[in-house]
Amino acid sequence: MIKKAIKYILAIVLVLFIASNSIYFKKLSDVKASVVKQFDAAKYARNYLNTQLIPYAGKAPQADELLALLKSSPDNAFKAYSHGLDIGNIRFFMVQGQGTVTAVDENDVYVLTGDNQTIKIAMEYIFGNALRDAPGLININDFTNTMDLNNIAAEVDKIVRAEILPPFKNKVKKGDKISFAGAFELNQEHINLDKIEVIPVMLKIK
Amino acid sequence: MLPLVMLFFVSCQNRSGPAQQKKMAIIVSTLNNPWFVFLAQTAAAQAKTLGYESKIFDSQNNTALETDNFENAIASGYNAILFNPTDANGSVVNVQKAKKAGVPVFCMDREVNSPDATCQIFSDSYSGCVSLAKYFVQTLNKKGNYVELLGLVADNNTWARSKGFHSLVDYYPGLKMVAQQSADFDRNKGLEVMESILQAHPDIDAVFAGNDAMAMGAYQALVAAGKANHVKVFGFDGAEDAIQAIKDRKISATAMQFPKVMAQTAANYADAYFKGKRDFPKKIPVAVELVTYDNVNDYIAYGKK
Repeated sequence: MIKKAIKYILAIVLVLFIASNSIYFKKLSDVKASVVKQFDAAKYARNYLNTQLIPYAGKAPQADELLALLKSSPDNAFKAYSHGLDIGNIRFFMVQGQGTVTAVDENDVYVLTGDNQTIKIAMEYIFGNALRDAPGLININDFTNTMDLNNIAAEVDKIVRAEILPPFKNKVKKGDKISFAGAFELNQEHINLDKIEVIPVMLKIK
Repeated sequence: MLPLVMLFFVSCQNRSGPAQQKKMAIIVSTLNNPWFVFLAQTAAAQAKTLGYESKIFDSQNNTALETDNFENAIASGYNAILFNPTDANGSVVNVQKAKKAGVPVFCMDREVNSPDATCQIFSDSYSGCVSLAKYFVQTLNKKGNYVELLGLVADNNTWARSKGFHSLVDYYPGLKMVAQQSADFDRNKGLEVMESILQAHPDIDAVFAGNDAMAMGAYQALVAAGKANHVKVFGFDGAEDAIQAIKDRKISATAMQFPKVMAQTAANYADAYFKGKRDFPKKIPVAVELVTYDNVNDYIAYGKK
């Protein structure tokens, strides 16, 4: 009889032990706080654009000087001015310049600079990492989730498409004198300066 | 219990082992795909160049076998693991096991969803697919019906590639995805899945495949259906047959990965770890490059050129 009782008590203790370890309680405020902590790429991108990217664009090398250096001494140009979060051949440059619009098509505006160099400014495909990586201001080690970095690039590009491009795109025409700043991608193993397409972050018709 | 006892002895051995006896285990998801064979062999060659003994373990796309490989590697006294994971979540337990035993893990090509890996070196698949997507939109003149073939659904690369692609293509309402199906990164499955999709959707203009093996399988299905001349095929990897197919104008483009860079960086980092370095970046993306008919002569398979 006593043995049976001990058995039942042990069984009940065991069930209670398992049950108490199967359920846990958390404060609703803590759960909400953890949700809030999720990375807000749009907010980060807005802050990055206003406080880092645009001020940096004002200090970017002039297009004529940078292109001349890329032609004469590409290694030095890459070393001095390019950045990228990835390792490998793809690097990004910030650039600024002035010139006269020689053509406008569906995808680009073509600008002739003071040194008679034609620069293509993207109007359609504002995508990729150029504006995120070119200034070299974002540290990959600050991010544990790779997708956060991808989302920053996407959000910065989204702001450019929605806010920076439309007022310029609607007015620009052949013959306009403009100033611009932005970023472009270049493969350091297979350099092709004719393919440069600047993703703009500042556009102004004079 | 036995593995735990073994791990205890092995971890003691790791701490006291002389530097010249260090060795690297190379654990790869599968050796049934030439891409991963190249990755593993390059890692082994780099370990040898650095003066270390190494051994390649094949997980055969099976996380249980991968666990056995980790236990064997740790018990056999390997001091670092150069790791190509089978499953971003399923492989986490193995990485944790190695960390507990004091063995650093350097991931190659694929990520694990864990901060316990010493460093993860992987292709920037998302950004590579943004570039590929731009070329896709330009090639199709912003309109048409397309099919997407996904890789292994448990692999982070599958979704990084798909998300990168859609982050651009979805801005173009004229491009309609009529089917999206997994073909497990496998050429034969790519062929079978494409054949079945073509039954339901004969009117397509393009296929985006998450790797070159599936792209080549899809191309075979399109040839059999007499649609290869009209339908544009886009892959990812930079595999040998895909590069040749671009030269032959059979497929439109691929995104070139650099397994050599990833494998060599992993081995170099293991070497640096043995020499006392501990401050490794947790993640290192390797840039992926767009390969089309216009620049295909700049490249050979697996980014070796």
